[in-house]
Amino acid sequence: MASGMENQGKVPANLKKKLALAVRKIQWSYGIFWSISTRQPGVLEWGDGYYNGDIKTRKTIQAVELNTDQIGMQRSEQLRELYESLSAGESSPQVRRPSAALSPEDLTDTEWYYLVCMSFIYDIGQGLPGRTLTTGQPTWLCNAHYADSKVFSRSLLAKSASIQTVVCFPFLGGVIELGVTDLVLEDPGLIHHVKSTLLEIQYPTASKKFSALIGDTRNQDDVDILDHDILDAKLVPVVRELDMASPDTCSNDFEANQLPENSFVVEVINGVASQAQSWQFMDDEFSNCLHHSVNSSDCISQTIVEPTNLRSVQDDDKANDPQGCDYTKPTLLESENGDVHYQSVLSSLLKTSHQLIIGPHFQRGNKELSFVAWKKGRFPSRQTTQGGTPQRVLKRILFQVPRMYDNALESPLEDGRENGVWRPEADEIGLNHAVSERKRKEKINDRLCILKSMVPSVSKVDKLSILDDTIVYLRELQRRVEELESCGISMEVEAKSRRKPHDMVERTSDNCGTHVTGSGKKPFVNKRKASDIDSMELETNSVVQTDVPADNLTVKINDRIVLIEMRCSWREGVLLEIINEVNNLHLDSHSVQSSTIDGILYLTINSKFTGTAVMSAATIKHALQRFALKRGNSSPF
Amino acid sequence: MENSTQESHHLRSENSVTHESPYPLYAMAVSSSPSRHHNHRIALGSFLEEYTNRVDVVSFDPDSLSIKTHPGLSFDHPYPPTKLMFHPPSSNPSKSDLLASSGDYLRLWEVRENSIESVAVLNNSKTSEFCAPLTSFDWNEIEPKRIGTCSIDTTCTIWDIEKNAVETQLIAHDKEVYDIAWGEARVFASVSADGSVRIFDLRDKEHSTIIYESPQPDTPLLRLAWNKQDLRYMATILMDSNKVVILDIRSPALPVAELERHRASVNAIAWAPHTCRHICSAGDDSQALIWELPTVAGPNGIDPMSMYSAGSEINQLQWCAAQPDWIAISFSNKMQLLKV
Repeated sequence: MASGMENQGKVPANLKKKLALAVRKIQWSYGIFWSISTRQPGVLEWGDGYYNGDIKTRKTIQAVELNTDQIGMQRSEQLRELYESLSAGESSPQVRRPSAALSPEDLTDTEWYYLVCMSFIYDIGQGLPGRTLTTGQPTWLCNAHYADSKVFSRSLLAKSASIQTVVCFPFLGGVIELGVTDLVLEDPGLIHHVKSTLLEIQYPTASKKFSALIGDTRNQDDVDILDHDILDAKLVPVVRELDMASPDTCSNDFEANQLPENSFVVEVINGVASQAQSWQFMDDEFSNCLHHSVNSSDCISQTIVEPTNLRSVQDDDKANDPQGCDYTKPTLLESENGDVHYQSVLSSLLKTSHQLIIGPHFQRGNKELSFVAWKKGRFPSRQTTQGGTPQRVLKRILFQVPRMYDNALESPLEDGRENGVWRPEADEIGLNHAVSERKRKEKINDRLCILKSMVPSVSKVDKLSILDDTIVYLRELQRRVEELESCGISMEVEAKSRRKPHDMVERTSDNCGTHVTGSGKKPFVNKRKASDIDSMELETNSVVQTDVPADNLTVKINDRIVLIEMRCSWREGVLLEIINEVNNLHLDSHSVQSSTIDGILYLTINSKFTGTAVMSAATIKHALQRFALKRGNSSPF
Repeated sequence: MENSTQESHHLRSENSVTHESPYPLYAMAVSSSPSRHHNHRIALGSFLEEYTNRVDVVSFDPDSLSIKTHPGLSFDHPYPPTKLMFHPPSSNPSKSDLLASSGDYLRLWEVRENSIESVAVLNNSKTSEFCAPLTSFDWNEIEPKRIGTCSIDTTCTIWDIEKNAVETQLIAHDKEVYDIAWGEARVFASVSADGSVRIFDLRDKEHSTIIYESPQPDTPLLRLAWNKQDLRYMATILMDSNKVVILDIRSPALPVAELERHRASVNAIAWAPHTCRHICSAGDDSQALIWELPTVAGPNGIDPMSMYSAGSEINQLQWCAAQPDWIAISFSNKMQLLKV
């Protein structure tokens, strides 16, 4: 853990410790030193940093008790380590990343922000640190999380981490950046204080003596309540004393305490630590601790809602900032598109998962168990001559059994949401190279679906059959058109397979029922086309017809045969009512064909006048009018 | 342990119990909640490539290591059932078990003391002539009124079995959907012949997410298992492959691990119901392997923890939460319970 100096040059010695001290003194969330990069001229990159904000978990239980500053240092180190392992993992993907002490799930948002900052580089003059360096003046940014990304490129990151104030000032050829989750108004005194802290002499190491008492109050669940009480008891009187001496030890008013503290600190190093002095120091720590313990307990009691991987941070940015940011893209995050939706799915899933369940230990190869231990080094030699197909039963269950059913014909896929069937658009994560290809395929599939619903086929869903049936259907239509044109008579071009009662009209293609579309078990599905080409022409005998085309009720009479065709909205019993009505009209129906599609009942009744009474078509039509669909909704499409 | 009810042949050894059935078996389900009336029930579906198939319910007594058959607990099923599943454990266990079966339709059965009655036949096609046969289904453990089915017509249908109505229907994939698994009350994943694993959220039916695609395009993915103890991980198997692919839903497209120690194709996978990093797989090499997923994999891949060799190709594997010590496998016409 040590001094944690980064080897990127231009980072002054012991800066980390000073930075740590400074950040803790002012009780801010983090401090970063941006240094001029040795590798790349003219850019600022991560030099060193200290994290002092909320943490979520404390993974390891320390064998040696550390005091707060060491814990803080260790945390910052661990975060740096995690960053490095993640960036290493990205460049050479492995099954698992090399284990760091921390893993992404353990971090709070603020820690994420800190970690992601490590990947940023700034041109001199660009970005908050860059500009600070050129102007040479401190920059104080309030409401950093709402700042324009041109002013503060990490503003969206800051938003997710609730960093509200960011301050930069030039220091020793680089830029010191400090950030905090509270809103702090501009205070030059603070900057001055931090600067002087940074220029101080060595950070005391003798504080180890007090570690046992201070313990770790960051993480409430690791510390016994008892310890905390002890802590309280010991320090309370001291605090009061101190209060009299120096009114407050709050962050904004360090000036008064500055010098005395320094001298105390020096004396501590020398081992001549009078109790008052040492307790002053401790108290300082204690107030820090208190502050942080309050924070951390808040933190821990939160439910963990945020998704826990790097991509989430990136994606939030992308999602919220469609124009794109002008910051250098963090190198360890892949570019992904459009998975805002997925992030919400992930967060709901992982919120409810029980990740900490540790089940009973597995016994291996116990005599009482059926399973024997695996012998290592046993590599599989493929059993090629197994005889028969692999996964025979599984394949049969999946591929063949479903097709065994008699009417194992897939119901027509209506595209879109007409009948409440949803077609989710598939988002691809991290498959950039195949995205456009996939989208193209999706579009093709959509078109094919539409085609399938237009073509009266009973075949399977696969593309080849759809295209085949379309070809067949088109040819049939072409043939009919030719015939019609040649005959010069507009014909009834219905494709329903129905029995035509008589050749009452000269229809050359009245066997249009025998169109080539397979078994014909399925009634005509082509809701759109059939009704539209429903043009009834009349040659002989009275055919009363109101409008052409797309009428909801037509009655044709030929001699004593009456043909009624109608469309009505389906409801229970409507068919029976219609038949009754027809009977009441003294028509003996001898053939009824009906189908219900989309709530519309298509009805064809062939009937005969009983008795001698002959009615006109208009009368019949009038009687049945009430059942038919109203003109307004003749086409449900 | 002979008693008055008819017993089929069963072999008992210290560590496994075998039940031999008169016909080849495929679908299998282990009941999740034993009640005081009966021991753990296991439903076995036959695999006969003809119209008449049967589902038998036997009961397993872990203390006496015996399996009893009940002549009354049996019913006919048209064509082999593609999947069987008992009602997930609920807060108030009723006297009788609900069993669901998939085939041409989703059917619900009530398994009583001595008989099985049909409760519902759920058919969602608009006209009575057509059905889209179901390849698989999954019962939502968090919301037990919800069952998701998947079919060869590329759709997944979500049923509300309290109302016996369709809750929603999604066109899930480009090709036939082969398996479906619930993650959460409103989130499920499915695999298909188009080679993709997709996650769907019922709150956002406009979008799905592809989290894995088979490396050879259009290699069908045949089975899917979602780790209920750790929802980050899923396992799937490809057609004609001896690999079990482990996916992390947080890192789509990249499998976390590929478990490649089977000597022939893998047929079935099941996550351990009581720990979060164990998975069992079984395949045509007659072996059932239990794997423990490490945090860091070695250079040669991951080795299984333990193995079991059965008599012939293992077609089915069930690891039930009510019986975490026992794994049920089926091969040819035998069903075996193996102590873990």
